[in-house]
Amino acid sequence: MQKTMRRPYQIAGIVLILFAAFIARESLELKYYTTLGPGPGFFPFWLSVLMGVLAAIMFVQATFRQAEPMPDDFYGSRVGYLRALAVIVSFVWLVFTMEGIGFRISMAVFFAWLLLTLGRQKGVIGWIIMIGLTAAGSWGAFWLFNDVLKVILPLGPWGF
Amino acid sequence: MEALGYLMHGFSIALQPQNILFAIIGCFLGTLIGVLPGIGPAGGTAMLIPVTFVLDPTPAIIMLAAIYYGAMYGGTITSVLVNVPGEAASAITCIEGYEMAKRGRAGPALAVAAIGSFIGGNVATVGLVLLALPLTNLALKFGPPEFFALMFVGLSLVTGLAGKSMVRALISAVFGLMVAMIGIDPVMGAPRFSFGVTELLDGFGIVPVAMGVFGIGEILLNAEGEVTEIIDTKLSQLWLSMDDIKASVWPVIRGTFIGFFLGLIPGVGAVVPTFIAYVAEKKTSKYPEKFGTGMIEGVASPETANNAYANAAMIPLFTLGIPGSPTIAILMGAFMMNGLIPGPFLFKEHADFVWAVIASLYIGNLILVIMNLPMIPLWVAVLKIPYSILYALILAFCAIGAYSLDNSIFDVGAMMGWGIIGYIFKKLDIPLAPLVLTLILGPLMERGLRQSLEISRGDMTIFFTRPISGGLMLIGFAFILLASFQAINRVRGEDSQL
Repeated sequence: MQKTMRRPYQIAGIVLILFAAFIARESLELKYYTTLGPGPGFFPFWLSVLMGVLAAIMFVQATFRQAEPMPDDFYGSRVGYLRALAVIVSFVWLVFTMEGIGFRISMAVFFAWLLLTLGRQKGVIGWIIMIGLTAAGSWGAFWLFNDVLKVILPLGPWGF
Repeated sequence: MEALGYLMHGFSIALQPQNILFAIIGCFLGTLIGVLPGIGPAGGTAMLIPVTFVLDPTPAIIMLAAIYYGAMYGGTITSVLVNVPGEAASAITCIEGYEMAKRGRAGPALAVAAIGSFIGGNVATVGLVLLALPLTNLALKFGPPEFFALMFVGLSLVTGLAGKSMVRALISAVFGLMVAMIGIDPVMGAPRFSFGVTELLDGFGIVPVAMGVFGIGEILLNAEGEVTEIIDTKLSQLWLSMDDIKASVWPVIRGTFIGFFLGLIPGVGAVVPTFIAYVAEKKTSKYPEKFGTGMIEGVASPETANNAYANAAMIPLFTLGIPGSPTIAILMGAFMMNGLIPGPFLFKEHADFVWAVIASLYIGNLILVIMNLPMIPLWVAVLKIPYSILYALILAFCAIGAYSLDNSIFDVGAMMGWGIIGYIFKKLDIPLAPLVLTLILGPLMERGLRQSLEISRGDMTIFFTRPISGGLMLIGFAFILLASFQAINRVRGEDSQL
């Protein structure tokens, strides 16, 4: 039996309804209306109501109408998910280390990690490219952005 | 006729070798700034103001103006090639431009963007010469009710950005509006939905959001899927065919007018004209269902509108001393640093300077197209880089770009978060363009609505009793009704087939 998008849209609908309910509750903590007109809580409240309605329609359509067929590539492979996760991990690394250990070192690890996980070119040439790109992407990028373009990038505790 | 005489004199100054040289330098630097994600025309122009301290006012402003409209084109290059908007105004180009690149048509996409930018920029400059004052007086009639009405029209066009499902497009739009509420309330100054996070008091900037949902989201999708080498493009596919040219004529004309008129209104920003131009193309196309698959009209019109806007936005600056956007405000600062006060007296007291800068806009637009068209094969060659290397480079540039906005690592994390949201939205076939559009329109709309209701003491008829806002509201409602009928007809058509 061909898979459909019924379940994904049902889940998305429920998640969005919960999100809308949360925002509506938070909006009511703000001033709804003042003597001069709508307050800070007015717009967010009604937007969350609208979102709730739209999410409910999405859920109902997914449940009671003929569901759209699921694309063949909707679910990725295990390796694919690991590659995507590698990208996310690389950014988490940057967020937690760039201001602590400096741009150059954190970006060098960032580059090396991505080139290894997304697919390094084969052989000695592959290693040379990887090392070259890692150096260019870290020290080279620092020179270009910090020294030439005057975009201040963080230094580490060792002065580089 | 008097204006033409002044313009000819302006050309005699702008065509001096020194001024041409600085126009070329400005176009090159601007293109480079536009290519680098995150830095943007405002940041790039601001960064390079100190360089102009050693120059006379005329070459200094010529160079800064060239950086501005050069950056508008530069942002297109990464939008088309790697689905990462170099600056916010190029975000909409990701939709059709990147699809064209995936089909081996990156060259025609970049070519039509360059040529459309040239035409739009030059027509806007003609408008500057001939129509500056009367059009600016009209634009000054825009108060809060007119602003709200204009944003309402923009919002009503969200329906034109819907793909297969109107409900999903509206969810994306409402989500964008909700995210736009994060930060300091624009009227009362109260923090909203910041949850104690200081960085959220400013809300989410459009640049990390656009880079995240379009660029990072696409990379996550590609990394997860069956990644193949990028499309191989033949030399014959690098240029525009006769069919491409025929298909682009009316989009370029429409984009020019949309960008030009919206450039006259201070505060609209560069993103709104590009979205309106895209939706206008989709609505007027004989094949709207093909939008999203690489329609050249979807690149020609927004890119033309982009540059027409950039040039037209100088009109309120020159004639009334009102900067229409952050980048124009920085240009205004450069004017003042050089002892020139923008406004009505600028034309009288410094006519030589003003007309030289206006003439340089023509020259700069020509330099841009001459510089960028031959470089198209070079840019397209970027696509031959193995994806692992290309993605690592893109991700690194995005990280640097996001960090450079406010020297804050929070923006890097936010961009990654938005990348995950973009990935989920793409998986669920929820269009991203409405989200980005409403993220920009939302605060403008809310401020316009609340200020208008303060003026009218809560009377909603203010939007309908003023002629300009009344006309715009009617247009907005007409768009919504039309989209509703089309959606109902589509649903009825699907049901009758069951």
